[in-house]
Amino acid sequence: MHSVTAIVVAHDGARWLKETLAAVLRQTRPLDRVVGVDNGSRDGSGRILVEVFGAGSVLSLPRSTGFGEAVHEVLRRLPAAPAQTQAGHPQGQVREWLWLLHDDCAPDAKALQAMLAAADQDPKAAILGPKLRDWLDRRVLLEIGVTVSRSGRRDTGLEPREYDQGQHDGAHGVRDVLSVSTAGMLIRRDVWEELSGLDPELPLFRDDLDLCWRARTAGHRVLNVSGAVAWHAEASARRRRRVATSDEHPRRLDRRNALFVIMVNLPFWALLRSIMRNVCGSLVRTLLFLLAKQPANALDEVVALGSVIRHPLRLYRARKARRKGRKQGYPAVRRLFTPPGGAFRRLTDMVQSFLAGSGPVESAGRHHAGAAGGETDQDDGEELLADAGMLQRVFGNPGVLLCLVLTAVTLVAERSLLVGDLSAGDLLGGGALTPVVGGAGDLWRLYAEGHHAAGLGSDTWAPPYVAVLAALSAVAFGKTWLAVGVLLLGCVPLAGFAAYVATKRMIPYRPARVWLAATYALLPVATGAIASGRLGTAIVFVLLPVYAALGTRVVAGSRRAAWGFGLLLAVGTAFVPLVYILVAVLGALAAVSFGGIRRGTRTSLVIGLGTPILLLFPWLAELVREPGRILLEVGLRDPALADPRLPAESLLMLSPGGPGVPPFWVTAGLVAVALAALLLRRDQMVVVIGWGVVLFGVLVAIVVSRVTVDGVPVWPGAPMALAATGLLLAAAHPAYRITEFRAAGGLRRLGALLIAAVAFATPVAAASLWVKSGAGGPLRHDVPDPMPVLAAVGSADGQGTLLLRQQDGRVAYTVLHGRAPLIGEGDLEPPDDDHRRFTDAVAGLTSGRGGADVQTVASFGVRFITVPAPVDPALRRALDSEPALVRMSLSQAGGLWRMAHPAALPTPRAADDSRHRAWLWAQGGMLALVLILASPGRTNREEEYGGADVPVEESARKDRAKRNRAKADRAKADRAKADRVRA
Amino acid sequence: MKGLIENRFGLLALVLVALAALYGAAYVGRPAPVVQRQPQAVKAPVEAVSVVCPAPGGTRISVVTPPHSEGPDAEGSDDKGPGGKGTGSATLTRVHASAEAAGAKTGKGGGSPKPEAVIDRPGVLWQREMPAGGGPITVAASGSMAPGLESAQTARDTSGTQRGLAGVRCVEPGADAWFVGPGPAGADVRLYLANADAAPADVSVMIYSGEGPVLSDRGNGVILQPGEHKAIELRDLAPSPLVMALRVSTGNGRVAAAVKVVLRKGVDWLPVAAAPSTTVVVPGIPGIAGRRELYVTAPGEEDTVVQVKAVLKDGFYALKNKEDVDVPAGSTATMDLTTGIGGQPAALVLTSDVPIVAGMVITGTGAVQDVAFTAGAQPIDLGSVVADGRSSRKQTSRLVLSAPFAAGAVQIRILPQKGTVPKPMEVTVPAGRTREVKLKPPAGSGSAFAVVVQPQPGSGPVYGGRVLDESTRDGLLITAQPLALARIWTLVPPTTDSPAAVLP
Repeated sequence: MHSVTAIVVAHDGARWLKETLAAVLRQTRPLDRVVGVDNGSRDGSGRILVEVFGAGSVLSLPRSTGFGEAVHEVLRRLPAAPAQTQAGHPQGQVREWLWLLHDDCAPDAKALQAMLAAADQDPKAAILGPKLRDWLDRRVLLEIGVTVSRSGRRDTGLEPREYDQGQHDGAHGVRDVLSVSTAGMLIRRDVWEELSGLDPELPLFRDDLDLCWRARTAGHRVLNVSGAVAWHAEASARRRRRVATSDEHPRRLDRRNALFVIMVNLPFWALLRSIMRNVCGSLVRTLLFLLAKQPANALDEVVALGSVIRHPLRLYRARKARRKGRKQGYPAVRRLFTPPGGAFRRLTDMVQSFLAGSGPVESAGRHHAGAAGGETDQDDGEELLADAGMLQRVFGNPGVLLCLVLTAVTLVAERSLLVGDLSAGDLLGGGALTPVVGGAGDLWRLYAEGHHAAGLGSDTWAPPYVAVLAALSAVAFGKTWLAVGVLLLGCVPLAGFAAYVATKRMIPYRPARVWLAATYALLPVATGAIASGRLGTAIVFVLLPVYAALGTRVVAGSRRAAWGFGLLLAVGTAFVPLVYILVAVLGALAAVSFGGIRRGTRTSLVIGLGTPILLLFPWLAELVREPGRILLEVGLRDPALADPRLPAESLLMLSPGGPGVPPFWVTAGLVAVALAALLLRRDQMVVVIGWGVVLFGVLVAIVVSRVTVDGVPVWPGAPMALAATGLLLAAAHPAYRITEFRAAGGLRRLGALLIAAVAFATPVAAASLWVKSGAGGPLRHDVPDPMPVLAAVGSADGQGTLLLRQQDGRVAYTVLHGRAPLIGEGDLEPPDDDHRRFTDAVAGLTSGRGGADVQTVASFGVRFITVPAPVDPALRRALDSEPALVRMSLSQAGGLWRMAHPAALPTPRAADDSRHRAWLWAQGGMLALVLILASPGRTNREEEYGGADVPVEESARKDRAKRNRAKADRAKADRAKADRVRA
Repeated sequence: MKGLIENRFGLLALVLVALAALYGAAYVGRPAPVVQRQPQAVKAPVEAVSVVCPAPGGTRISVVTPPHSEGPDAEGSDDKGPGGKGTGSATLTRVHASAEAAGAKTGKGGGSPKPEAVIDRPGVLWQREMPAGGGPITVAASGSMAPGLESAQTARDTSGTQRGLAGVRCVEPGADAWFVGPGPAGADVRLYLANADAAPADVSVMIYSGEGPVLSDRGNGVILQPGEHKAIELRDLAPSPLVMALRVSTGNGRVAAAVKVVLRKGVDWLPVAAAPSTTVVVPGIPGIAGRRELYVTAPGEEDTVVQVKAVLKDGFYALKNKEDVDVPAGSTATMDLTTGIGGQPAALVLTSDVPIVAGMVITGTGAVQDVAFTAGAQPIDLGSVVADGRSSRKQTSRLVLSAPFAAGAVQIRILPQKGTVPKPMEVTVPAGRTREVKLKPPAGSGSAFAVVVQPQPGSGPVYGGRVLDESTRDGLLITAQPLALARIWTLVPPTTDSPAAVLP
């Protein structure tokens, strides 16, 4: 025979209380007694309780009372149940039950009945709990009993947002669990008293676990009854009301209590292991939190651990109180723990979700299923249609298809560039691209070393793009040729992909995005950059759409986007310094226009534009000293690669001139469409901004293309690409109107078709011309290795090989050291004095005038002289006539001479590179910091997106959606219900 | 303004105006086409010269360095005079077949053989009759003696197998040399090789006979240690060719090569012929009666037809019935031009589709004849020096100058062995003509002299040869040599340090 007393504890829960109380009174198994407790509510909860239960059954307690205390208080006043409340059960020994209910937990009408039935089945069952479902989405499972991992983590064993389809219902509707929540907990009064109830040491979090654990240890059973359902709003956990039991931060409290409960309930040996585990685990998590830019979380983690360990006395007292049966009961408890792999899985999940951009998800205010409740996957349906197969999903995506088409076009057009005879030592190079040799290690060394042996020897610091390339090479398995090949030769599909993805938030109309991406990728700038081997422009070309996308967020005031923007801008600037100026001017304009409107815009812009300056500082300072170099880009400087007399129509049609550029009319369709976009009045703002960028870009291109730096005309690729970006935005943004026109029918429909045809003419024409003419140009994939094998084998460390090449009446030379020069070695500057002396000596040597020139050359450590084919007869004669040179070979491949009397190697000067080393460390540190600040972490929406405009909110939504997907963590990182606090 | 913006076409008009302005700016700003100035090579004086006289025994060796920067030398007016680096000297040393090769090369090293002579007076001809026997001699000059150093050996014998005048320029060691002349079947052809350098030379000899290339293992892999010299009878390598082109090349190192031909009717050294080229000019054919025979070799893999045109006193034309020669691949063809150019000073211009080398046999007159050889040569753009000129009652020296392509103007300066230097002589050669200039030193300065030929600014390419003859009772002794580019100046090309040099 049962006697059930329901105890409803309310604290500012008027919103839910009525329904809860109604549900309590509607039970099919009527309650014997009901008691309401009002913990100092200010919203009238107490009044509602009195209305429903009557004033006699309601207890009013101060506001700071905890849930456990409230129950204790009730029991202190509640007399034992009358021995025989109902006649007709003569043999019935009354078992008195307490049904603990939160104010936001509405049980199903049959809940009590089902639980009592289960209790009847199992006489050892002392604590029973209903299956908890979500208050709002009534099918979503919240809890079916809770367990804990050895590291103290609560674990419901559910996926987030799992629907209840009976999948977790145990055999006979009962699950043997470690603990159940206090929301709807049905506990035998005698057991409660035996265990002295909820521990007042734990006013909040994990009190339920502690109680159930003790019950288990005492030999009772804890059951979750599937037939009993309660709907729980988790009001406190979801911050629907203030939690005010403790001054401490709930997150810290939660962690502290978790550790505390584990430590007091585990037997001694398990405790030692657990301490070890928790100390290590906490440190790792702290580190991850720091990486995820959640210093508060990290602090909480550390402080929680510290506060448990710091009070051994308290721990000892609590352990003493629980000593009885702890060791004997432990096996029964242990099998209900989270399986051992769980911790590791959680860690990997955490790292994954961190990488996916949602941050480690175990923090206050998150409750497994509900934290992101109400979200659907609709807004990222493009990426994830729940049931589509992987293939269908990938190939049904127009972005992927676009990339495939662009890749195919690129492969066909670059047919001559892709196949190189690797066995013959052929290299990719030509135009502005130094033949690609070496690996990531060589580039790192070049970047880090203080004194370079390359060339004539130099103490200048290697330019920062070397580090970027080294990093990229490291990603490409240490193979620089792979990295350069993918970036340069794959620039078209990469740019297409970047443009497609980057415009996602700016241009909702997908065909327009496809058109935009295709047109952008096939711009004359791209084909020209490939043909002339301009690695820098290729990289900037891929980055520009990303700049545009991040730029909108920077203008909107996003800090994280600003750091990322700064980092990427630094990369682009390292390759093409002009990009920085272009972006800076546009940024300044944006600051003037939006700075006053949006909060944080200025700070973000300063971050975005300041980061490159900090990261590239000494190099930029050098650039500023020689402003002409700002206009040049990475690579060899060949005057033939740009046209100093670029016709005006080419400039206006975004054709930068030089090799590999289609006729200027290719982009006519694009310009026409963009002009037509000016006629639309609805999206005028974007179109005008786009055209503003176009005019700015073209103006810069015109100015820049008329400049010659050190005899090398400047190639206006970067400003052209910028102008093209603006043009494409202006044209593509209002493109959705096409559908309206088409729907309108008649002349408008015809016009729409015409516009579409004109628009698509540009990418189609560009692609076909490119395929027809091929991508080759000065860039080749069969550049012979300039370093003769004989010389490479024969020269000792530090000995050089002088390479001479007669080109249109002049002799160009370079000194090789054991291998062809690396990308970036050409930018090192030898001391002026040496350089002049050596150049004079080489000139003398090549003239064949005899004298001491050979000795001078040899004194720089030159051991061999190589002249690649075709060997100029005069040059050959000059070298042959030099008595101090011995010819080693002369063939179709070129000639090689050896010094008859190699001079002693010059002793490398001890370079003072402490400054360089300091700078490298500083740069590395700054880079790490920027990376951390730019990398996705948990975002605080309130702060970051405060004044966000539409795209930003979309981004936030996307973040949230991603977070939904980052599963498991959240579920398992569940904390104790804050509801109980004063519920 | 507001109206303009609110009008549907207002923005379009604004943008179009802006674009037009940009177009105008770009159009106006377009720079005029710049003529790409070819970087000019800078003339620089030669700083060191070393040449090897192949077999000086019993000959007269002449060594001369032209005087520097004196008089109205147009070349030197804006440049610093050659050899401005204070003093210098030329040293004559025997090529020394020992390990101390370095010493032999410069003549200065410790333990090296005693120099035969040291010359330190530029502008003055130095001559010495060498005793018979002994190996080749290196003439090494540096400093002020270097620019333009010219050296020659000339043998004169009035009887015996060696009867005749036989002169040769002392050769600069090199990696590749071509000779064209009679083959070992009809003459006694001897190849003199000398290695005056510090590194061993690996010499190969290739012979292109009238029937095609002669494949012989013995001509390959002749190793000359530093300081070593050798004379090779070509008959041992290839007994059969009647005519031949000879290529001496080295795989490693450098060699000084010279070829002496002893025919039944005369003796002389073969001059070094210009390397294979599609246009070859054979200059220096004297206006002396006698047989003239042209040898042309196409060392490549293709048969060819060589067009032959003569540059004579009266014009530049193809000879009747002797317009072209068929030259099978890898072989040497001959053509008798006696009836075409015999007795008149001439040069020949040979053109072909494939590179060819050419030489000519000049036979003198008289009861007992002597021969001389000339060969394809370079234009003397930077001037030329001839070390050995003689003028006496019986001996005549002459220059045969040709300007096949454009009018030429040269300045000829005679440097006598002693006495004052006479005023230079200006000679112009009309385009497509040949001129013969007899060389006479001023009275009282002895019979021997050197000649400096300097093209004047604006002159077209001038080719030439020097012919030395001596009439004896039983016939004319004769020797000839094409004018070679003097080692006064070299062109120092503009040189840049450019990593782009690694790109083809």
